[in-house]
Amino acid sequence: MDQKTISQDILLRMVKAFVKNEVAPYDMEIDHTRSYVNNLWSKVKENDFLSLMLPEEYGGAGFNGRTSAKVINEIAKGNASLAVTLEGHFKSVDQIVKYGNDELKNEYLPQAKNRIIAFSMTEPSGGSNPMGINSHAEKRGDKWIINGDKIMITNGGLAEIYCVLVKTAPDELSFFVVDNEMEGFEYGKQENFLGLTGVPVGEIVMNNIEVDESHLLGKVGMGKEIGDSAHDDARVLMGAVLTGIMEHELDLVTDYATHRKAIDTPIIQMQGIQRKIADIAISKETTKLLYQKAAWMKDHGQDYEEEAAMAKAYGSRSAVKAGDDSLQILGGYGYSLDYPIEHLIRDARAMEIAEGTVEKMRTAIALKEAESRA
Amino acid sequence: MKIVVGIKQVPETTNVKINEKTKNIDRRGISGVINQYDRHALEAAFEIKAKTNAEVIVMTMGPDDFVVSLQEALALGADSAVLLSDRAFAGADTLATGYVLSEAIKKIGDVDLVLLGQQSVDADTGQMGPIISEFLDISQVTYASKLDVEEGGLRIKRYLENIEQDITAKLPVLVTVTDQANDPKYVNIVEIAKSFEKEVTTWHASDLNLDADRVGQAGSPSVVRSISSPKEVVKDNYKLPDNPQDAADELVKILKDKNILVEDK
Ligand SMILES: Cc1cc2nc3c(=O)[nH]c(=O)nc-3n(C[C@H](O)[C@H](O)[C@H](O)COP(=O)(O)OP(=O)(O)OC[C@H]3O[C@@H](n4cnc5c(N)ncnc54)[C@H](O)[C@@H]3O)c2cc1C
Ligand SMILES: Cc1cc2nc3c(=O)[nH]c(=O)nc-3n(C[C@H](O)[C@H](O)[C@H](O)COP(=O)(O)OP(=O)(O)OC[C@H]3O[C@@H](n4cnc5c(N)ncnc54)[C@H](O)[C@@H]3O)c2cc1C
Repeated sequence: MDQKTISQDILLRMVKAFVKNEVAPYDMEIDHTRSYVNNLWSKVKENDFLSLMLPEEYGGAGFNGRTSAKVINEIAKGNASLAVTLEGHFKSVDQIVKYGNDELKNEYLPQAKNRIIAFSMTEPSGGSNPMGINSHAEKRGDKWIINGDKIMITNGGLAEIYCVLVKTAPDELSFFVVDNEMEGFEYGKQENFLGLTGVPVGEIVMNNIEVDESHLLGKVGMGKEIGDSAHDDARVLMGAVLTGIMEHELDLVTDYATHRKAIDTPIIQMQGIQRKIADIAISKETTKLLYQKAAWMKDHGQDYEEEAAMAKAYGSRSAVKAGDDSLQILGGYGYSLDYPIEHLIRDARAMEIAEGTVEKMRTAIALKEAESRA
Repeated sequence: MKIVVGIKQVPETTNVKINEKTKNIDRRGISGVINQYDRHALEAAFEIKAKTNAEVIVMTMGPDDFVVSLQEALALGADSAVLLSDRAFAGADTLATGYVLSEAIKKIGDVDLVLLGQQSVDADTGQMGPIISEFLDISQVTYASKLDVEEGGLRIKRYLENIEQDITAKLPVLVTVTDQANDPKYVNIVEIAKSFEKEVTTWHASDLNLDADRVGQAGSPSVVRSISSPKEVVKDNYKLPDNPQDAADELVKILKDKNILVEDK
């Protein structure tokens, strides 16, 4: 057995045990209280989950895209919010690794072990259309002065470091890295979202934040490319989250249908129930194959934009549908706030919007199909 | 101090299936984990190491893929690891397994403390500790629920059914550890890569001073005649009345009839 396989086995053993003991038992409580109860967050940090994808040279564990996605999948089986909180951090770390200059990398990557990095594009004026943003950066001497308002940021409030999309000219988009210790940085309002309630989603306000040239991510004008790259990363990991949600649903419905009887027959023997369970299983497996393929392509330096979009577009709708079917299988219990099914539907629903709406996803897929034939 | 911890890789699931044909545990498609009690034995070793700077050597006998568990133990904090692997070891019962493990411990030499789990969760015999201590001719303490280092030895608590023992043990000693002894830590994710700087040594039969008749199937006097999973049976269902007072009265009556509840005299 080679080192890579052994490392991955050890990691997945650890993650499964961690999820079983520290995450899954608190799934409902995390949803109800909108927080990572029972010191979960400090346990996540202590065990270095934040360093999972961080390259070893910056003190990280250096696991590849596929392994990291499998970890997110396992965590989501226990609680989807925690998986999305980590997803938000990983994709942000990845962009600094990919586009940061050496000075920026040396400053922020070693800190990524303990401080969450978030990625913020959306503004009150819109998310789907990046050109519609108002935040901007102005060059004064050898400094950049940043102003603007960013909303709906995954981990907003929890994260301490932010990659922010701004305009550096009327039709020029660029990314900068700012952090919560800078003068002019303020946290704003927290969203009151329907699902993934464990994830803090919030606003930051930037008032004349002054940064060095080194805080420019990539080059001036690379905003769209970096945004797309982050989306691709995130969509693979969301495919993994959605797979985890459907695995959670399958655990619940197979257990229930095996033990619940209608007259004398366990309901799992009934064709109507079997059809629903089979469809959930097919959706789960398809989403899993899609995200693993996309992650494999990423690890091998291939263009995985389309596969990543498919994993998220297919996975999110399927998981919502799977949740609806699961609810039906559990009957009245499925409709109860005291059972987890309803929050799994709310959680999955977020992923038809976050990291690009499914409509945008389909645009990307269709254009890629045409492009590959042109 | 030199500590050897024996660990076993067992199926991840507690829902162990038996292969009807081979009468062995069906390991297909089931990934392994370190036997849970052995996690406590390892943690006990690490606690002693933290206080005394002891050297911790982790050891397992089993097929090559048990190396994952050894590497995991290294990531958790063991200093080095020994894999005992050879076709000749296949089919070993507890006696033959204990023989090979004890010969490997002799080869390491000057071992002060051997730590094992109280039992494995798959074969479940709990015999390994007593067998190895006998072969090594050292004293043994089984079912240790608390371990502390003391001048010249260990202070151990055993919580047995009706008594609690407080024991002082001189070194060398073999101790089997229960799950009450400590709270094992998770592998730290960053430590996994670093653990490959440490060494896993493989010893084959020829590396040890073994009597060929005493290893593997040939050295195993016990034969598993049959092995089966317990059947799930449901018996004696009682429907209690809805009214809580009546339900309680009825329950007390049932428990008395069964002699589970007895009148206090
Ligand atoms: C849980 C969650 C987490 C989030 N985390 C982040 C984050 O970390 N960082 C961040 O920057 N943002 C984040 N967002 C915001 C998210 O990216 C935006 O909500 C999303 O991009 C859509 O933008 P919008 O809400 O402004 O909707 P709009 O862009 O106004 O879209 C409204 C509707 O119009 C459709 N539409 C818009 N443009 C097109 C088009 N060109 N073609 C077809 N249909 C179109 C959309 O699909 C949608 O149905 C998060 C959102 C959620 C729900
Ligand atoms: C009668 C009998 C026949 C068997 N026949 C076969 C057979 O034909 N084929 C086969 O594959 N298996 C066979 N086995 C299983 C195998 O030999 C045992 O699993 C092994 O001897 C250890 O016994 P145990 O798991 O009950 O350990 P226990 O005594 O319950 O384990 C106690 C502790 O000993 C340590 N330990 C146990 N095993 C190891 C190990 N391998 N390396 C290092 N430390 C260890 C651990 O710390 C463990 O917590 C047989 C077992 C028995 C009892």
